[in-house]
Amino acid sequence: MIYTYLLFTLLILASLSCFAAKEKSATLITLFSSFVSIILSLIIWLSSTISTNFLYIDPISKIMLIVTAVIYTTTSLFSVSYFKHIKKPLLKQNLYWAFLNLFVLSMFFSVIAANLGLLWVGIEATTITSALLVAIDNNYPSIEASWRYIIIVSVGLIVSLVGIVFIYAQAHTLDIAYMIQNHQDKNRLILIGSAMAIIGFGTKAGIFPMHTWLPDVHGRSIAPISAIFSSVLLPSALFGIIRISQIAPFGQIKHFMFALGLLSVVFASIFMVNQKYYKRLFAYSSIENMGVILIGLSLGKTGLLGSIVLLISHAFAKSSAFYLTGNILSVYKTRKISDVNMLVKNMPYTAYGLILTSLAVTGAPPFATFVGEFLIIAAVYKIYGFAYFSILLLSLLVAFLSVNYKISRMSFLDGKAMQNNSCDMISAAVPLINTALAFAVLFAIPAINKILSGVLL
Amino acid sequence: MKEAFIIVGFLEITLAIFMQWQIYLKKIVTTFSISSYAISIFLAVDGIVLNNTNLLVLSALTAVIRGFFIPHFIRKKLNKECYLEREIKAIIPVAASIVVSLVFVVASYIVYHSTLYSFINIPGGSIPIALLFQGIFLIISRNNAFVQLVGYMVAENSLFLFGGYLFPELPFIIEGGILLDLIGVVMISGIIMKLREENVSSIVDEFEEFKG
Amino acid sequence: MLYVLSALQLIFVVIFAPLAVGLFHTLTEKFESKVGPSVFQPYYDLYKLFNKQSVIPKVASPLFQIVPYLTFSMYLFLTLVLPIITAFPLSFGPVVDFIGGGLVFGAIGALKKIASLDSRSNYAHLGTSRTSSIGALSEPIIVLIFITFGVISHTNNPYVINNIMQTSSQWYFSLVHWFVVFAFFMALLVETGKLPIESHSNNEFGMIDQAIKLEYSGAELALMKWGGYIKQFLLMSVFLNDFLMPFWVPMKISLSGVLIYSIIHLVKLFFLIVIFAAIQSTISKYKLFKNFEYIAVAFAFAFLAILVYFTTGGSV
Repeated sequence: MIYTYLLFTLLILASLSCFAAKEKSATLITLFSSFVSIILSLIIWLSSTISTNFLYIDPISKIMLIVTAVIYTTTSLFSVSYFKHIKKPLLKQNLYWAFLNLFVLSMFFSVIAANLGLLWVGIEATTITSALLVAIDNNYPSIEASWRYIIIVSVGLIVSLVGIVFIYAQAHTLDIAYMIQNHQDKNRLILIGSAMAIIGFGTKAGIFPMHTWLPDVHGRSIAPISAIFSSVLLPSALFGIIRISQIAPFGQIKHFMFALGLLSVVFASIFMVNQKYYKRLFAYSSIENMGVILIGLSLGKTGLLGSIVLLISHAFAKSSAFYLTGNILSVYKTRKISDVNMLVKNMPYTAYGLILTSLAVTGAPPFATFVGEFLIIAAVYKIYGFAYFSILLLSLLVAFLSVNYKISRMSFLDGKAMQNNSCDMISAAVPLINTALAFAVLFAIPAINKILSGVLL
Repeated sequence: MKEAFIIVGFLEITLAIFMQWQIYLKKIVTTFSISSYAISIFLAVDGIVLNNTNLLVLSALTAVIRGFFIPHFIRKKLNKECYLEREIKAIIPVAASIVVSLVFVVASYIVYHSTLYSFINIPGGSIPIALLFQGIFLIISRNNAFVQLVGYMVAENSLFLFGGYLFPELPFIIEGGILLDLIGVVMISGIIMKLREENVSSIVDEFEEFKG
Repeated sequence: MLYVLSALQLIFVVIFAPLAVGLFHTLTEKFESKVGPSVFQPYYDLYKLFNKQSVIPKVASPLFQIVPYLTFSMYLFLTLVLPIITAFPLSFGPVVDFIGGGLVFGAIGALKKIASLDSRSNYAHLGTSRTSSIGALSEPIIVLIFITFGVISHTNNPYVINNIMQTSSQWYFSLVHWFVVFAFFMALLVETGKLPIESHSNNEFGMIDQAIKLEYSGAELALMKWGGYIKQFLLMSVFLNDFLMPFWVPMKISLSGVLIYSIIHLVKLFFLIVIFAAIQSTISKYKLFKNFEYIAVAFAFAFLAILVYFTTGGSV
């Protein structure tokens, strides 16, 4: 427990000092606090489940803490090299670091909150702290994207707050640990409350009918921010849905989650076929992956294991993909797929990294995403039968083909050679580390399985 | 308080319909300011009757932030740039949007009575839900950042009416967190909105990349 | 007795209808710091028109000539069945209720439109199409209002509604009632052709109802105009007696009471006309297509009234 408080103090101090510090020292402070947060989250992983008035750390929270800390570190590292590509940044560099620290702090806060209201507060706080980070490019499209992000997400979260109030009206408490132990009677009030909360958190997680802000934001924010959004922000919104489904483990809620997840997968894969911009392509891929994770969460047992594995490995793979798109953008100065070609000749490391990560995010075997999706698909076949199984499989296939076709086109199609193709060491190395991690999650699956055995869902 | 709740609630709904009707941003903002003050007065009276400090805090915050500060901010912005006064385009025709928001009111009444009525049994319990829908619809139906912010705050007002009247006994730490968050969202969106309005005049068409 | 009172009401309406309109015009001009015409100007107009020669389009059928007389007599019939200066049914009272009265108003409108189509004048056709499209949307408001009153009073009888409103302060101060009042007021501005909707000038762009009688002249035009005055007078009286100010209307049969009330009624009308004139001189006209937004708001009020009734049961 002491380590949790330590983690929080660290991040609060880091963000406060970044407001005051010079650019260089702010960078160093952030890098330091991110490395320490990895260590602290590993220590928390080894300690037992904590449940107090303010903290509730169960295995899923621990996993989220570690993933967030790792992505935080790699994002900080990558931002150091990427920041020089921004022409006229909206925020000064030290403010950028301060907001990044606050953003990560609010995500940490929402995954360990012991109270549904505080969980909501944490998730809403991620919106506030990240809105300016989205607009950091300081041009019209990025500001427009940031505006859409704020409005759509905060309205969605208001809906989920109404849902939480309904849950409170039924249970007369918002304590998560208590509500997981003692299930409420199933009645309309708690069903509607849970459904509204799921819709709200689903807005933040980019689930299908409410996903519209997501491609815009991912397409227009800078690469490190896209990466941290896609790999940790969306899962921490899904974490809210996990809590809701733990509190209200009713059949209708599971079916609702399944339907939303399936819709997300189907529509995201349809949108991916016709995508002209590579960052948006990966954004839709995020929606598709979140859909699959949501399906897995709705199934429980092996589905849960699959979705947690997919969540972790997708976080690593997708962050790597977005870092690489940042490298491409800084050299080619275009977001269009059709304008990028000969990547293998021009930027060999980036090209091979991109091919590997695009295989990883679409769930191709050696990567742990494959295991996650496989477990979920198997569970779907077992529970929902052949029809839904084939729909899901077909959509995943479409997504796989469209992403990999477009990426290989960008990599291998003949075109003119670029003069300025120098890419510094950090921005080439960081994506490779994350891709390797997406593979290494395979070896952690038994440990994840063991730690998840006590989780009720 | 029951009668006051229903009167204030229907006043809010008619004011929201009035906001749909207006084309001049200033009038929309003034209407919103009036509706915030109405809610603030209602919450204050309710707080005095129930002897509940939470409600008084809610009331004061409603009056200061959504009644005075944000409308004042928007008005100041509008005075500077008069070409922003009249809204350029509404996505949905005004008459249609009035009728649609009316449909939302009816729909929320039906939803409330078919689902929640047996648990939260108060007359006019559908009003905050209707107001929430109307705020969301105001965001959908208009393309102007100011109106969208107003729509968001209408939804927020409905939340205050909802939480303040129906559940005044929510734990204070949560309520405080929620309040801080809502204030933060409004502040941040104010900043973004300012940036957006500085840039918006140079872009005439919808940005092509954001389609699909 | 009832026959005498009926005759009295008929004479009262027919005589004072032009006065109300004259007063409206004078006040409007006064509010704009002009001198304005005399209050009796509509009487002079009618006198002048009755002495003029009638000109009838060559292509028009006999219907064109009959319609002014027909519609005027229908207006006269309506004065006999609505609560103007009495709150008890007169001898023709049982013939129609609110819906029936609405139907007669509708029939008059239809006859006018047919006649104006018959005149084959482009402007008259323009007026017909505008009136029809606005009427098609404003009729539902009126119907909704009548339904709401039907729900409150379990009847569609205007006299019964007046009695309920006079005697029950619970209904008079209920939210339902005031929503209905507001909706009917907005509909009234549409039906009487007041400013946010229609401006009475010689400019055909703003004409709606006015354009319908463009081809009439002489005595026929006088009757059309007089009918229009009576329509305004009736609608305003119904608004006052059934919606806004249902008080003091005599509920017992007595000649002196009715005579005293008829003076009070003129005072009530005077205040309503002052409000109308104030609106007329402060508001500018909507564009033709903005009218539908106005009507949508009026519809929203009428609809909310029913919703309020279901929410509160009339207790608030």
